[in-house]
Amino acid sequence: MQNKLSDIELIEQTLAGNQSAYADLVKRHQRFVFTLAMRFAKGREDAEEIAQDCFIKAYRSLSSFQQQSKFSTWLYSIVYTTAMTFLRKKRIDTSSIDDDESYIQIEHKPSAYDINNIENKSRSFYLNQAIAQLLPDDATIITLFYKGEQSLEEIAQALGMEANTVKVKLFRARQRLKERLERNLKHEVKELI
Amino acid sequence: MNSIEEQLWNYIDGSCTPAEQQAITALIAQDEAYRIKYNELLKLNQEFSTMEMDEPSMAFTYNVMETIRTANALKPLKAAINKRIIWGIAAFFIITIAILVIFALSTLNWSMPSGNGRFDVNIKMPEQLDSNHVKSFFSGGVLKGFLFFDLVMGLFLLDAYLRRKQNAKQH
Repeated sequence: MQNKLSDIELIEQTLAGNQSAYADLVKRHQRFVFTLAMRFAKGREDAEEIAQDCFIKAYRSLSSFQQQSKFSTWLYSIVYTTAMTFLRKKRIDTSSIDDDESYIQIEHKPSAYDINNIENKSRSFYLNQAIAQLLPDDATIITLFYKGEQSLEEIAQALGMEANTVKVKLFRARQRLKERLERNLKHEVKELI
Repeated sequence: MNSIEEQLWNYIDGSCTPAEQQAITALIAQDEAYRIKYNELLKLNQEFSTMEMDEPSMAFTYNVMETIRTANALKPLKAAINKRIIWGIAAFFIITIAILVIFALSTLNWSMPSGNGRFDVNIKMPEQLDSNHVKSFFSGGVLKGFLFFDLVMGLFLLDAYLRRKQNAKQH
């Protein structure tokens, strides 16, 4: 049985000219990078474009990766800057989360199918729906913290912020997510009644 | 002063100091309101960690690697052509200048003048470089051929420049 190579080993092989090692690295991180890109783009096509751009940028500057941090932390910093540039280019509306009118209102009329299956909808469906309604920054911090296996310091490094700022932002993002989750669930219950 | 919720989140994340941790543990054990809030946040924390990740298209890795391969295939070719041209031009000029200098020095009359204090440099033009002989190079077929070659080279370079500009616009 072949041992799974670490990120650093794959990077060393890539730098030595083995491109399939980089393909393995892409396969390993593509899901998370794409998820992060979705937090900014809100559309699959744009998110794929951002994610692909990130991996190409990472490949080009792989030799400058100092290995002082985890590869994932370094990669997420590329994702963040690429996504921010994308947002600036596309001028996506990033208005305040407190402004109720700015939320993406998902039209939902319960059909017979929905009513029969509503109980089967897992809490994670509502959670992902609520995350999609957050500001990109809030959604990114929450995703990095819960799914990126990143500490507050690593998130701070990836986003170019102070660790304390990230701590405060994480707290606020959690509060907003909780509010959105509760609001969506209440809305769903009302629809059923 | 942090709010109760903020303190509890720090406690759950393990990002508070040992003293704070001890104090919050005691508060959870003694205070009912703290305990309820703590359990609520703990449940929420577990729920947040169940969030699902999005899956890119099946061809994602292939697309990334193809873009990298294409970029890599173009880069060395461009670099090689550029280097060869540069070194070729440099070598041509260096050799030409060296030949001219050697030729000029070999035809110099290095003998000192005999007493009048003047230093006469007596450079003999070689017979091959006689003005009439030189003129024959720049007339007729040779000149036309040279100008035609220049024109073709100029058009070739202009085409390459316009193609590069168009490619840069597309990307």
